[in-house]
Amino acid sequence: DGEGGAKKRKSRWAADEPKAPLLGQIQLPDFVRELTGGVDLDPELQALNIKLLDINRKLQTGQVLDERGDGNRSPSPEPIYDNMGIRINTREYRAREKLTRERQEVIAQLIKKNPSFKPPADYKPPKLYK
Amino acid sequence: LGVMASEVPTRVVCLSQVVSPEELKEDNEYEEILEDMREECGKYGTITNLVIPRPNPSGEEVPGIGMVFVEYTDTQGAGKAKATLHGRRFGGHTVNATYYSEEKFTHGDYGG
Repeated sequence: DGEGGAKKRKSRWAADEPKAPLLGQIQLPDFVRELTGGVDLDPELQALNIKLLDINRKLQTGQVLDERGDGNRSPSPEPIYDNMGIRINTREYRAREKLTRERQEVIAQLIKKNPSFKPPADYKPPKLYK
Repeated sequence: LGVMASEVPTRVVCLSQVVSPEELKEDNEYEEILEDMREECGKYGTITNLVIPRPNPSGEEVPGIGMVFVEYTDTQGAGKAKATLHGRRFGGHTVNATYYSEEKFTHGDYGG
């Protein structure tokens, strides 16, 4: 029976009844997801964000040298001087270069993993060499 | 916390704990379930594909039994369906709705 009946078969879907709370899947309110861009709570992205903030802080405060004791440092490269005879590749200069490179890498990874990530204005994508 | 937060929206919604293997065996019942799903899920967006894995008559194990996969034209439709259908009752089951990998879905991989 039921075939060709005037009355439509009742759907298995229950009417919009109050939702039974399901354990193990609690939805965050929408505003939280907007704040975080939806994916910032990903532990991997969080770690990258923290690293970026850390690098930014070091570059801005000028505290670029790491705190290893002098005895543990690897040998310095040969000095390079400019036309005026002033050394270019000082320890501070090299540390700053290294941090800047690290910063570019972290930003590149953040862009790759989080499409909603907005890179800082001074970020330039790495040049592609053929 | 990490599990749900890393969830990335896709165009495919997976409804699990929706149907029992017994319900899927009967052709009539299977057709009705398909129809109910098409009707309800169509309210949230344009459906491009709907798959309900059925038990193999040979008794061989089939992945995705008890689940319903709905593919929409966009993530918006999928998102709306997921949010609305999660926790709804379907024939005595409480539905659990999640996003499903588009890649797996297109390759017919319903194993999660």
